[in-house]
Amino acid sequence: MKEHRVVNPWRQGRRWQRICQILLCLILAAVLASPGQGASAQDYDSLRLLTEAFYEISQKYVSKKNEEDMIYGSLRGVVNSLDPDSSFLTPKEYKDYLDGQKGPAAEAGLELIIKDHLLTVASALEGGPAFKAGLRAGDHILKIDGKPVRNLTTQEAARRFQGKPGTSLKLQVLRNGLVKPLDLTVTLEPLTPTSVTSQVVQESYAYIRVRFFTDATPGELATVLKALARQVPPLKGVILDLRNNARGTMEQAIRTASVFLGDRQIVITKGRPPQSEQTYHGKARELAFKPALPMVVLVDQGTGRAAEIIAAALKDHSRAVLLGGKTIGLCGLTKLMPLNDGSALIITVAQCYTPKGQKIQGKGLEPEVAGKTPPPGDQAAKEPAKLLPPDQDPWVIQGVEFLKTGKPAQMAQKDAS
Amino acid sequence: MKDKRAAGLAAARNNRDAKEKSMSRKLWLLGSAALLVGLILWAGLAITAPVETNPLELRDQEVVEASPRSALPSSPTPISDNRLKVFAQALALVETQYAEPKTTKELVYGAIQGAVGTLDPHSSFMTPEEFKELQIETKGKFSGIGIEITLKDRLLTVVSPIEGTPAYQAGLQAGDQIVKINGVTTKNMNLTEAVKLIRGPKGSKVTLTINREGFPHPRDYVIVREIIPIRSVKARILEDGIGYIRVANFQDQTDQDLQNFLRKMRQRLVPFKGLILDLRNDPGGLLEQAVRVADEFLNSGLIVYTEGRNPYQSMRFYARAGHSGDRTTFPMVVLINEGSASASEIVAGALKDQKRAVVVGTKSFGKGSVQTIIPLEDGSALRLTTALYYTPSGQTINEKGITQDVVVEEQPLPAGKSLQKLRDEAMDRHMRREGLTDKPWDRPITAAELNQDPPLKQAVELLRHWPPKNLAQRPPASP
Repeated sequence: MKEHRVVNPWRQGRRWQRICQILLCLILAAVLASPGQGASAQDYDSLRLLTEAFYEISQKYVSKKNEEDMIYGSLRGVVNSLDPDSSFLTPKEYKDYLDGQKGPAAEAGLELIIKDHLLTVASALEGGPAFKAGLRAGDHILKIDGKPVRNLTTQEAARRFQGKPGTSLKLQVLRNGLVKPLDLTVTLEPLTPTSVTSQVVQESYAYIRVRFFTDATPGELATVLKALARQVPPLKGVILDLRNNARGTMEQAIRTASVFLGDRQIVITKGRPPQSEQTYHGKARELAFKPALPMVVLVDQGTGRAAEIIAAALKDHSRAVLLGGKTIGLCGLTKLMPLNDGSALIITVAQCYTPKGQKIQGKGLEPEVAGKTPPPGDQAAKEPAKLLPPDQDPWVIQGVEFLKTGKPAQMAQKDAS
Repeated sequence: MKDKRAAGLAAARNNRDAKEKSMSRKLWLLGSAALLVGLILWAGLAITAPVETNPLELRDQEVVEASPRSALPSSPTPISDNRLKVFAQALALVETQYAEPKTTKELVYGAIQGAVGTLDPHSSFMTPEEFKELQIETKGKFSGIGIEITLKDRLLTVVSPIEGTPAYQAGLQAGDQIVKINGVTTKNMNLTEAVKLIRGPKGSKVTLTINREGFPHPRDYVIVREIIPIRSVKARILEDGIGYIRVANFQDQTDQDLQNFLRKMRQRLVPFKGLILDLRNDPGGLLEQAVRVADEFLNSGLIVYTEGRNPYQSMRFYARAGHSGDRTTFPMVVLINEGSASASEIVAGALKDQKRAVVVGTKSFGKGSVQTIIPLEDGSALRLTTALYYTPSGQTINEKGITQDVVVEEQPLPAGKSLQKLRDEAMDRHMRREGLTDKPWDRPITAAELNQDPPLKQAVELLRHWPPKNLAQRPPASP
């Protein structure tokens, strides 16, 4: 049954062998040339491993692969092994990326990460197209319009979800807990410009929802807060909802946090060189909410980036208590580095730390008060998540209860009794 | 790079340009030096690398082999491909600028994952640990003491010692609590950790501290580890002369175990009215074993063929006479479902195409590709799709699956379970001898058991009223 055959070296094999040798030498040279770095014997072995793998694939895979796919594929693999914000752009993707800087006409309202080598929803913007289609945090996207999405970077994936308003995308989605993948259709829409909404719950508690961050968010938030401060009966507490919010820049985060914290320290970034550490403070003039009302911030597994910076700063300055679930841990400064062939790398060059020095990237924030777990069976349900009005939302109710009963210390005592 | 953040954009760019210039000069010098070193090493490799390592038989594939490496072209090739330079440039940037130091090895593993990610979903890269784990699985045996354990009321408990193994001979009993393993308390230990501690090299000793009802205090058992075979075949019979064989996966010795059961059954059941071969939730395994299992029921003809890009990946597997050919005469039903993949599909496809059996259940998974495991230098490995399978009638199994002759839907699956989890659970039950196969093979299946399993019941009905009337393609009638 076993058939051993002698394989003649063929032309294509030689070509690949040459490519592999050249690659090996090049990488070695580049690594040696990089400042402060010497290639060790181990480095050399690792690189030889790469060329060995390339060679085997070129020789034995069931169909022929072109070199460009392989090289670009492996670069995607390199950046995907770093963190969700690091990315690789082919020349075409880089061009599209530069063109797309203005912001898309319409989109799905999705934040994506790579988890277990799969394209995964970090958060679906509440009320956005993806949310309405039934996508939720943790879903793995297997196919877009029938094409498997393997080895996409998050950047490229995000671009697939942008386009003309009304464009429909058919998705195949794997949800933890379901046997068969789901088929969902997302229709792209322009995002509603308003990022902040608010309402009063249980007469004297303000519920403020920030769905995403834009440059206008700090202003919108200040307006909302000023209006709330005038309300009768007077406010007794504030619930700031940052769940499912992983969109926003560091600058937007700092300005938004300033609304509550004024010129206090908001976030620290550190890169590899020790002297790269930077501390960012808010601006006193952004301070818009002076009353020292107790505050609860709702966070969950879809809370990331700007929202994490704000939540962490409010927590570290004891301005608010975090309630809910552990956050994503997605907070870094990236840098775009064009490569010689017109492609580009985006890599994280510095990571965020909370004012007290706790690392956010890759770790996330653990809320002081765990949100009550939703009723079982809900997780795996196929139906789109329901949008509960705040006064029926279990975590909002829990937050109000918390604000009524007291401070974290008292809460801890209560738990112990 | 130190002043990166402080400098303005323009300054940063100038700075980078300057750095790049000096870097490229360095690169050129070192590049040529490295080229030489590389050439020497590569030549060394070409001479010393064995043309073929020990063939290892692994999942869904024929032979694992090292690449034959041909001699180098004598003159170095001019560097023509910009993309290669770009790769080197990118790797160096990540090594020097990423927010956390990353070892070259981590990055290279990432790069290989990425390269493999451009291939089909069945191709993958395995780290040395993952590769080791796979070898244990597929070899169908491991070195241990031969007990099945579980956590009962948070206590590590022996489910059953497997007959004939060291644990059995040492006198361990079902229900024994394992208090300590080699003196380490099992409190708060999970199953995986416990299994890790109990397993070990053949010939070595493990001390289990056992608590049993009737013991005044826990007692130590010193047990010598041996190679323990994992059985992939279980069986039952039905009162009226029908045999039932369940194959959980295709591994070493699957065909022998199947032969043994079949022989015992045919001695026990006279007349032998038919066989149900249950391949539900069987994820596959060794191609060679699939061929042998199909061969068991076929006298001649094609079982499966593979086609790859390279001629040596294309193979045809034929059934051979001489497997006591009379076996090919009894009526036969094969049970499949969407969890039946690969080797299971080869067997179902061959028996269906050759009209040897009626296939009952739901459409199978559709994994019709051959993967070859290629070990790499550092103990990691590539699993590459190297060929596609075709059934004797030329149907590709890939993505299409095997279609059943008789549809019997299974009960809907409970929410909260993935296919993989379902298979794992089926395998666990199989290992624990729960469900249908929890009883000795010669104890007949009861009507109550049949009622719980509609596809099996349907299969039994078919055999009881053989030949099936409403099937266009009919297998040979019973003797």
